[in-house]
Amino acid sequence: MPSMNAVLFISFLLFSVGVAGVLIRRNVLIILMCVELMLNAANLNLVAFARQSGTVAGQAFALLVMGLAAAEVTIGLALVVALYRKKDTIQVDQINLLKG
Amino acid sequence: MIMESTLSTALSTPVHSSVLWLIPFLPLFGAILNGATGRWAKNTKVVDAIALGSVALSFLLVLCCFAQLLGQAPENRSVNQTLWTWFDLGGARVLGGITQNTMSWAYKFDPLSGAMALLVTGVGFLIHLFSTGYMAGERKDGTYYRFMAYMNLFVFSMLNLVLGANMIIMFLGWEGVGLCSYLLIGFYFEKEFCAVAGKKAFVTNRIGDFGFLIGFFLIFMIYGATDFDTLMGMTRTLLARPEITLFGLSHAPTWWFNLIGCCLFLGACGKSAQIPLYVWLPDAMAGPTPVSALIHAATMVTSGLYMIARMNFIYINAPVALSLVLFIGSLTAIVAASMGLAQYDIKKVLAYSTVSQLGFMFMGMGAGAFSAGMFHVFTHAFFKAALFLGSGSVIMACHHEQDMRNMGGLRKYMPWTFASMGVATLAIAGIFPFSGFFSKDEILWKVFEGWYAGGSTLNLVAWIMGMLAAFMTAFYMVRLMVMTFFGEYRGAGQDPHHLTVPSEVVHHDDGHGAHGHGGHEAHGPKEVPWNMWVPVAILGLLALVGGFLNIPHSLHWIGHSHFTAWITPLLYQTEAHHAHEAAPAMEYILMAVATLVWAPGAMALAWWFYAADPTWAKPRAFVKRFPELFEWVNAKYYIDEFYEAAFIGPCKQLGAQLWAFDSLAVDGMVNGAARFTLIVSHAAHWFDAKIVDGLVNLVAWILQQISLGFRKFQSGRVQNYAFVMFLGFLVFAFWKFLA
Repeated sequence: MPSMNAVLFISFLLFSVGVAGVLIRRNVLIILMCVELMLNAANLNLVAFARQSGTVAGQAFALLVMGLAAAEVTIGLALVVALYRKKDTIQVDQINLLKG
Repeated sequence: MIMESTLSTALSTPVHSSVLWLIPFLPLFGAILNGATGRWAKNTKVVDAIALGSVALSFLLVLCCFAQLLGQAPENRSVNQTLWTWFDLGGARVLGGITQNTMSWAYKFDPLSGAMALLVTGVGFLIHLFSTGYMAGERKDGTYYRFMAYMNLFVFSMLNLVLGANMIIMFLGWEGVGLCSYLLIGFYFEKEFCAVAGKKAFVTNRIGDFGFLIGFFLIFMIYGATDFDTLMGMTRTLLARPEITLFGLSHAPTWWFNLIGCCLFLGACGKSAQIPLYVWLPDAMAGPTPVSALIHAATMVTSGLYMIARMNFIYINAPVALSLVLFIGSLTAIVAASMGLAQYDIKKVLAYSTVSQLGFMFMGMGAGAFSAGMFHVFTHAFFKAALFLGSGSVIMACHHEQDMRNMGGLRKYMPWTFASMGVATLAIAGIFPFSGFFSKDEILWKVFEGWYAGGSTLNLVAWIMGMLAAFMTAFYMVRLMVMTFFGEYRGAGQDPHHLTVPSEVVHHDDGHGAHGHGGHEAHGPKEVPWNMWVPVAILGLLALVGGFLNIPHSLHWIGHSHFTAWITPLLYQTEAHHAHEAAPAMEYILMAVATLVWAPGAMALAWWFYAADPTWAKPRAFVKRFPELFEWVNAKYYIDEFYEAAFIGPCKQLGAQLWAFDSLAVDGMVNGAARFTLIVSHAAHWFDAKIVDGLVNLVAWILQQISLGFRKFQSGRVQNYAFVMFLGFLVFAFWKFLA
């Protein structure tokens, strides 16, 4: 049974990797993966706290987030496909229509 | 109150008066029909039928109405018809608060207007008939319908003038005949002198119309009414006033009547060609000859006389105006007659003769003998129309030659024309049984009687001038007849004595010059077709017998003075009748002298002067002896030149100066305003562009500069935005943590 701190630390590392990937990487697919990492870090936290407090609400919430993440990925990938068809690229640094 | 009386007369008029309106309107319909459709008529006979038919129907209607009048008692001889209310004055207030608020389109058929209508339609019809022959050349070139439409329109206007029951309708006709005169004088308007003559007639008439209008307004201001019955009826009441105040001026009624009389007489001077406004009539001969006969001899020029006779209630109470009429009439009679002595153009002689005879008529009016003056209108219409139409035939027979020196000997070729014109000449000269004797000597006698029965010396002066004018009349008429009909034909290279002159008459007749007679030059003159000599013969016959309608009272064993009796009920009766009629013995003597010595003497003199010697040695010697005198008379005393220098020239100068003022000052001001506006708008444009737009652009620029800094944040990269969000989150977290 790992300690609470260890779980939280791993969760922190996962989240940091996700944030760094979102901010640094240029490939949309990677960014989507990093978003998934962040979601799963949050899930890990939820499950850990649920276990510590002895309630099931956190676990149920983690399941909900997973389902939501699945939906989000479908939409995200669809957007990526549409974007690729439109712009012939999936590098975010080349998609800068909002540049002032 | 006047309204009521008009209404009651309108209601009480018998049913038969309802055709009265057709008398003037039939020629109007003819004019409209011909004017609108004549252009496309395949055959000009259709135009003839419409034009002659409408005038003939109108003449028959006049005859019917006239017969009805004859059947009535003298005081009932008036038929009125009110057609409609022409316009409403909306409560104009005049002197004494009397107002006539509505002007109606009304006709009045009484002895005076009836007789005039008879003359207009009767003589008018004969002249229309003559025109069908005289204007034959126009049938081909398509202007014939226009001529006939104008002639019908003239008859309509003239009938309005004489039949109008009030001054407004009369004025409508007055202007209408002026317009038709203008149109017909300028019928050949492609020739400049015709257009100029038409313009001269119109402008001269406008001067007279000005006087007419002033007189008419004064009448309206004083009476508050315009219809003749009301005016006649109110005169006595007005005269009873001690004074009439108008425009702040208080004068006796007679003073105002004199003023009105003089103003109206100015109108009559214009229309009836009296000094000083007679100058247009001789020039009016530029129109076709039937026009000269109808308008400028028989009818239109007598409208001034008709107007004075109609307004007799004014004139008989206006001694000064009446004296003016007498003086101007006699002066015109003698001056115009003397001008006629030295003219070579056959129509010019007749034109001056007309002016002179009109002067005689005014003399009669001026002597207060309205019926005598009006009677001369009628006899003159007959013999002068005959003379004019005869001269038209002569001109046509001589291939549109108007210079009498190139005529001569025509009595052999044109017996009918010669006989008719001969009768008319005897009539105008005043030989005993012919009509002119009765009318002219009646006038001269009335003028003389005015002095003889203790009147003013003006009457004696006028009588002497009239006698001299009568002498000259007989002289120039015989001169005309001799030069035209006696001797040998001198035209077209057939002159045995080589008297032919290159035509002095630049205005080659009515501009017929080039209409198809060129090939006939070799032939001699011949009688004109029946539709031309028959009207002349009828008029000649009327000139022969017309005088018997009005035999002077002193010759009562011959007949009665029907005409005087016919007109008299219409005349204003003054209280002071002549106490005693002058002894008829004096009248007999004067008549005998006039018809046995005076006129025959003048005729014999002319005969001796011109006929006895075919080479005209005597006139030539006379001209050689007194070249200045002849030149002076021949040039009509240079009165046209005087007018040109004294009035027309200055008017034109004034016009030119006003134009210069307009073009410099007024136009300059307008242009200056335009330039000023332009300059101001340039400045405003600069201000707008630089200052206003500059401010707006400055604000925009400032915003732009500011936004340049912020722009850098908008990299368009989603990751940058996410990074900033992340940093913000960190700051927020640290801030929370520290707190």
